[in-house]
Amino acid sequence: MSKIRRVAVTSPQTRLAHARRRSRGRWRQPRLAAGDTQRATALYAAQRRRGIPALVLMFTLLLGLPGVFALFPALDTVRLLGIPLSWLMLAVLPYPAMALLARWQLRRAERLEDE
Amino acid sequence: MGIALAVAPVVLVTLLIGVRGVAAMRTTSDFLVASRRISPLVNSAAVSGEYLSAASFLGVAGLVVKDGIGALWYPVGFTAGYIAMLVLVAAPMRRSGALTVPDFAEARLNSPALRRLAAVVVLVIGTIYVVPQFRTAGLVLTAVGGTPYWVGVVLAGAAVSVTLALGGMRAATYVQAFQFVLKLLLFLIPAIWLVLQAGAVNRTDALNPVEFTHFARETKVRFEVDVTMEIREPTPVRRNGVVETLPPGEFTAHSQDEVVFGTGAAVPAVRGGAALGGPDWRRPLLDLGDQGYPLLGTWAVLIATMLGTMGLPHVLMRFHTSPDGRAARRTAAITVALLGVFYLFPGVYGVLGRVLVPGLYLSGATDTVVVALPYQVDSGWAGGLFTALLTAGAFAAFLATSLGLLLVMSGAIAHDLVPGGLRRLRIAVFGVAGIMVLLALRSAELDAGVLVTWGFTVAASTFCPLLVLGIWWPRLTATGGIAGVLTGLVASSGSILFALAGPPLRGWVAILVQQPAPWSVPLAFGVMALVSLRGRPPAWSTAAMLRLHLDEPRSTGARDRSSTVRRLARLLNR
Repeated sequence: MSKIRRVAVTSPQTRLAHARRRSRGRWRQPRLAAGDTQRATALYAAQRRRGIPALVLMFTLLLGLPGVFALFPALDTVRLLGIPLSWLMLAVLPYPAMALLARWQLRRAERLEDE
Repeated sequence: MGIALAVAPVVLVTLLIGVRGVAAMRTTSDFLVASRRISPLVNSAAVSGEYLSAASFLGVAGLVVKDGIGALWYPVGFTAGYIAMLVLVAAPMRRSGALTVPDFAEARLNSPALRRLAAVVVLVIGTIYVVPQFRTAGLVLTAVGGTPYWVGVVLAGAAVSVTLALGGMRAATYVQAFQFVLKLLLFLIPAIWLVLQAGAVNRTDALNPVEFTHFARETKVRFEVDVTMEIREPTPVRRNGVVETLPPGEFTAHSQDEVVFGTGAAVPAVRGGAALGGPDWRRPLLDLGDQGYPLLGTWAVLIATMLGTMGLPHVLMRFHTSPDGRAARRTAAITVALLGVFYLFPGVYGVLGRVLVPGLYLSGATDTVVVALPYQVDSGWAGGLFTALLTAGAFAAFLATSLGLLLVMSGAIAHDLVPGGLRRLRIAVFGVAGIMVLLALRSAELDAGVLVTWGFTVAASTFCPLLVLGIWWPRLTATGGIAGVLTGLVASSGSILFALAGPPLRGWVAILVQQPAPWSVPLAFGVMALVSLRGRPPAWSTAAMLRLHLDEPRSTGARDRSSTVRRLARLLNR
């Protein structure tokens, strides 16, 4: 961190404009250069293709787990280290699973953009 | 006195960091999104810090006492929301270049009407979310320090609005990141101490719940709100110092009543909650209101929290402080891991609370279970110290969440509804905070479980479809967006208001009215898609959508960050 005092380097007019009204630019029609359109279309399709399995996996795991509990009430009586197994499956298991899922999906999404 | 010692440092440090942030503040963009220079790690700590509200710090443990182990589904949904965010929203939202959700609506669909509607939705969600924060601040200070309810509420409101008006988002980002670390430590260390200190008998009792039918020892219950109970057999009690026997049937304890149940007295039943420690309580499913449909109740809560996170305006805004779309995506991924660590612990407080402070179950003040625990384990200085630590953490939780929400709400007013400069934004902060304090003063009696998910449900039924379709479906039109958001807002809020004020319902209908997400979200998506299909999207629509998926040229990175953050970031990037 430098000890030099920081000064605003804006035109006094800009500062005036900011003080008076927020300078919200007029809406401009979005345009993409030809090359960009191609890349964006490819990325859009690829991200959608990779995103859907990740979402389906997440919903299956999380909405499925209550189903498992409902179907197998015996999980409440099985104990691990004295704690009911079903409690552990709810209070502990989902978090590392979700962190791994997030990491996996992040890598996949970033790799698409690295190409 | 101890309470002042606990709360004062949190408020002071919050203010201090807030004032430090003023240095470089020049424009509205500086104020709102810290000029977009926050690294993924700091930003995800800030997201988590902002997100871990009173509901997470106190509410979940309280709901475990009230509703049973199944209440641990709430934090699972809270965390899962960030995976949905990572996949669907984070990067494109950042690439839209918009400042706020209403900005996004205009950038993608060019509709001033939708922009204003989105700003109104921001205000609705913000109100539903911030009022419980202030409410819990009041309840906790009452439980711990015996101060009147309004003191905590006013204190929280004042601290938040002063910090924000001075520092804005730049300040808020560092405050939030600091507060995440603070909250994690203040939650984790007392939890470990409690488990060690509680003793083998209590630990075994906590893991082997038996139905709470008779008081094991003399128990004093202090009522802060009116509670109606079902007395099962003639029960001798001492009410406000007078010995009497309660006859079987309904019995209403009034606010400020103090009822002492003797050893061996029968425990009255409380309507709406699972019998404490009973078979329903032990099941890892969430049987809302004891209606007998545990699977439906669990799914309803999961859907609301998972999809609602994606639409929370203060969280979405955090992603704009990332330098680019890639960093925004990373922020979401790291957040899943950070939240996962924190959410391992509410269950510990919940199961210990059932054993050690069962009286809260009767008084309905289960929200205060976390801060009530240390004194049950150790009545000496250690108990006092840990109560103070937990109170400080809880206060950090109210402050962090309220900061982000007030910022977003004043942004919606001063940026979207009546555009103005920085000065108007600062005035708006004070105005909004004042109104929230007034509302919180009158909502001490609302049900915590409803308050926790209400904001999520509205967000899931409005912004979630708008963002998902806006980002992934080129055919979305402005008319479709408006119709869908309006439908979702009216359906979700109307349904919950009906559950709060309308006649009592039974069975699965009651669950779907109280937690409308399973039908209101598909309804909003459906209306949005159908109305869009009937219209014709403008020629530029596809370009407006594709733009969100185009990655930025890779920046040279780190040049704007401080050296400490740069070193940390290098360490984390393997």
